[in-house]
Amino acid sequence: MIHRLLAALCFAFLFGAAAGAEPFVQGGPIGSQTPDGYNALGPVVKQPIEFPHYRHARDMGINCMYCHTGARRGYVSVIPRIDKCIGCHQNIESVRNKPRIKKLFEYWDKKEPIPWKKVNDLPDYVRFNHERHIQRFYFRQNRPVREVCGYCHGDVANMTVDRRVKALSMGWCISCHQKDHKESDTNLKTSHGPGECWQCHK
Amino acid sequence: MSITNLLNNWSFYRKKRPYQGQYDLNRQYSEYKWAMALDLDICTGCNACTTACYAENNLPVVGKERFKHGHVMHWIRIERYWDEKMGEFPEQGASFLPMMCQQCEEAPCETVCPVGATSHTNDGLNSQNYHRCVGSRYCSVNCPYKVRYFNFWNYPSTAWPAPLPDQLNPDVTVRTKGIMEKCTFCVQRLNEAKSRARTEYRLVRDGEVVPACVQACPTSAITFGNIVDPKSKVAMMWKNQQVDLYKDMQEKDNSVRGYRILEDLRPFPSVMYLERVRDMEA
Repeated sequence: MIHRLLAALCFAFLFGAAAGAEPFVQGGPIGSQTPDGYNALGPVVKQPIEFPHYRHARDMGINCMYCHTGARRGYVSVIPRIDKCIGCHQNIESVRNKPRIKKLFEYWDKKEPIPWKKVNDLPDYVRFNHERHIQRFYFRQNRPVREVCGYCHGDVANMTVDRRVKALSMGWCISCHQKDHKESDTNLKTSHGPGECWQCHK
Repeated sequence: MSITNLLNNWSFYRKKRPYQGQYDLNRQYSEYKWAMALDLDICTGCNACTTACYAENNLPVVGKERFKHGHVMHWIRIERYWDEKMGEFPEQGASFLPMMCQQCEEAPCETVCPVGATSHTNDGLNSQNYHRCVGSRYCSVNCPYKVRYFNFWNYPSTAWPAPLPDQLNPDVTVRTKGIMEKCTFCVQRLNEAKSRARTEYRLVRDGEVVPACVQACPTSAITFGNIVDPKSKVAMMWKNQQVDLYKDMQEKDNSVRGYRILEDLRPFPSVMYLERVRDMEA
């Protein structure tokens, strides 16, 4: 009986190892901030540098849009170029000898871009407009930036490497677009997101 | 339908169909209604609009054989008419008519789609959702202008060999086999302009955004704009030519040239054409 159990365990271990990438898990501890039933934990993405989001966004309180500058102006939020990192880090001597920063300067000296991998990826036939969401909720309604970005990206400020925590599926998008959102704190009028195919599908 | 039902609702059944608002009673345009005016007198039939459309919207070049079979994919086509009696062929001039999706208000294609892949947007466009389309081709059959094109072949695998996929427009999906497609008035440009305008607390200005065909036209025969704005160029042209979006078989003065194609079928198209005038005596 025990032998059989052991064999089964071994098989499970081997099979799991052979599968390689982490399987898609429904729900999970990180995605549990908004219990809307659509939370889905994405796979762990191995980045060239283990970028500590918590250090920048939570400990230092840096606005997400200081680095992701495209979010307020266009469709893509933009992963910053290496000169953005260097611009600050060449003046921060205290962390210069940390292994991640050393790696960063290696790329800088080689004059190579850091090959970041995409975490929150949408299918090619979908266009998500960051600008509209940021302009509406951050600039017009003055909601905290970590909350606004967190509607789709989860609590990135408490993560090291970013991980997808929402399903980013069409049903999940629609579930929010159909809700009545307040126009502003003083305006009682509510409105909801567009429901046309061509707003997102191209 | 019983006789009593017919008699009781006589006026309802006698109504001409489709009437305005038959499919969507609440439809009203507060911000945008995109429309076009196309002057056939200026059009030289140079095909620049077609070429621009191929480049902008990732249209595949199908080749001679498939063209013969009617599998061609041009969203805007130049129709040639040889009806002007001006001598024999080399001297005889053709008259040209660029034909694209007319973005009808009561679109015949929308009502027949079994899966709702084509529908009306709040900007008055006739949207085509490639990912919902199952390829029944019913919409193409019902379209009076024959401007819907079907992907009979898997063009992504053949139309763009190795280095060519790099020139595809990333804002437009590359359609696969079994999908119906049509002119979108370059909705990717419209959406981008609308987003930019909204960030700046305004509406899209007249002439701020144009589809690829309008941009490429060397003689500026095509005018594009928002017809809700009465000061826009296209709205003034429609007004001057006495063409109303929601009227059919309109009575006009003899001096105006504006008309819409197949207006009596009552699809209420959004493209107005201006008649070609030639002095045949001279």
